Amino acid sequence: MESKSSTTGNRDNPNRNLHGSKTMMASHFLRALFRIQQTSTSSSSAGRSRRIRRAAYASMAYSAGTRRAWSRALLRKLRSRARLRFPRRLSRAATPQRRDMDQAQVLRKLVPGGPSMDDCKLLEETADYIRFLTTQVRLMQTVMDSISS
Amino acid sequence: MEPRGSSGVGSGNSGTYTPEIAESLRFEEEIQSLIDPSFDASSAAGGSFTALLGLPANQAVELLHHPGPGEPPASAATDTLRLPFGCSSTFVERAARFSVFATDDSPASSSGGGLSPGLKAEPPDSDSPPTLPAPAGKPRRPSKRKECEKSKVSRRPRWGFLSRKAVAKKSKSAEENTSAAKPAAEENTSGDKLPYVHVRARRGQATDSHSLAERARREKINARMKLLQELVPGCSKITGTALVLDEIINHVQSLQRQVEFLSMKLAAVNPRIDFSGLDHILSAECGPLAVASGCGGGASDPAMWASDTAASTGGIRRMPAPPQIWHLDVVHPQQSSTVWENNGVAHPHFLLSPATSLVGYDPASSVPLNSNRLKTEL
Repeated sequence: MESKSSTTGNRDNPNRNLHGSKTMMASHFLRALFRIQQTSTSSSSAGRSRRIRRAAYASMAYSAGTRRAWSRALLRKLRSRARLRFPRRLSRAATPQRRDMDQAQVLRKLVPGGPSMDDCKLLEETADYIRFLTTQVRLMQTVMDSISS
Repeated sequence: MEPRGSSGVGSGNSGTYTPEIAESLRFEEEIQSLIDPSFDASSAAGGSFTALLGLPANQAVELLHHPGPGEPPASAATDTLRLPFGCSSTFVERAARFSVFATDDSPASSSGGGLSPGLKAEPPDSDSPPTLPAPAGKPRRPSKRKECEKSKVSRRPRWGFLSRKAVAKKSKSAEENTSAAKPAAEENTSGDKLPYVHVRARRGQATDSHSLAERARREKINARMKLLQELVPGCSKITGTALVLDEIINHVQSLQRQVEFLSMKLAAVNPRIDFSGLDHILSAECGPLAVASGCGGGASDPAMWASDTAASTGGIRRMPAPPQIWHLDVVHPQQSSTVWENNGVAHPHFLLSPATSLVGYDPASSVPLNSNRLKTEL
C-alpha cells in the first residue's frame, strides 16, 4: 500500500484517514530522531528540542508531498533555513479583543503558505493541515510513551 | 401578461395562409413526423391545420387536445405528444412559442381562448425568447396543453433549447416572482454572451450572474467549513461561522503548541532512546515503498547517515533480515555505536534496521511485525 497520491482520494474518502502517509511520516520522523540523537549528544536540550520540532514539521511536509500548498510552503521554509522558522506563541497582549474581525488573517498566519491563498483554499488547506498535525502529534506522543515505558 | 407585440395582425385568421399559419403547419408536421415516421408530411400540409383554423378557437384547441374522428393522424400525434418528446430543438422552440397560448388572460373561459390571439402574436414572438419564461411561469390554469408545454419548457434542462437561450438560470417554480421574471427576461439577452454556469437558481432568489457566482462561492466555502467542523472536535454543535472559525484557530494553535511541548519532552528524554522499544511500535502497512521514498526524500537532507549516502541508498533495496536478527542487532545499540561509525558497509544495514523494522518491512511474510499499540493509536 503506498501513500495517497491524489488529493481527490483524500477528499472523497469519508473517514479521511491518513493511512499511507502515517507510515511514511513515522519512518521519516524516527530516522530523524535517531540522527539527532547520534549527532547532538552534547548539545543543549533546547537546541535538540528545536531540531526535533523541525524534524516533526519536516516529516509532516514530506509525507504530505508537494500536492498541498501548505506542505510546499513548509518545505520551502525548511530548506531556506530561516532563523525564525515557526511561530512562537502568539502574544495575546497585542490583541486585546478576543474575537478578531479578520479571523481569516489569523488563520493565514498559522497555516504555512497562508498569505497567498484565498479564503476558500485557505479553509481547504487548514483542514489538511489539521489532519497532518493531529497525526504528527499522535505519533510523537506514541514515541514518547514507548520510550518512557 | 399579454403577448408581446401588437395585436393588429389579428384580422384574417380564418382562411388566409399567412406566414404564421405556415409555421403552425410546419409545427404540426413536425409533431407528426416525430411521432409517426410513416407519416407523409406533405400530404397533411393543407389539410389538418387550416381545417382547424376554420373552426372557432375553442373547438380548435379542443381538437388539438382530443381530436375527433376526422383527425386520426392528429390523434396519434397529440395522445403521444406529451410523452416521448423528441429531441428536436426546433420542435421545442415552436412548442415554446405556442405556449403563448396559455398566457392569454383574455375573457376566454377555457384554454381555448388563447389560440387566436396567440396566432396573431406569433410573428413578434418568433424572435423573442424573453416571452418564454414569462409564459412558462405565468399560467395557473390547469389545462393539459399548458401544463405539458410548461413542463416541456421550464423543467427539462436537457432541452437544447433551454441552454441555448441561456435560461439555464431559470427557476423551477411555477409561481415565479414577477420581479424575477423581468430580470430573467432582461438577463436572457445579455446572458447569451456569458459562459454558462448551469447553476440552478432557487425559488425566490435573484438570478443574475453575479449573485449566482457569489452563491456558488458561498456554497463552496460552506462545504469546506463543514469538513473543518468535522475535523475539529466539539465544533459540530457550534453554529455561526465566526465561532467555528475561532474554534478552528484555537485548535490549530493548540496542536502547534503540543508539537513544541512534545519536542521539548523528547529532547529531554532523548539520551535514553533505544530503538528496541520502537520495534514494537509501527505496523507493517507500508513496507518498501515508504522506506524507499522516505530514504529518497531523506537523501536530499544533509547526510542522514554518518556514512556515505551511496551505501545507504544501495543498501536500501533488499533487506530481508528476519526479525530475530533485527532484535539482536538493535538490542545493543550503544555497544555497536562505535562499530557503526567505522563499519561502512554494514552501517546502512544496521542503521536501516530500526527504521525498516519499524515500518515493518518484511516481504517474505505478510504478517505485520509489531503492530499492536501504535497501530491502534495511529
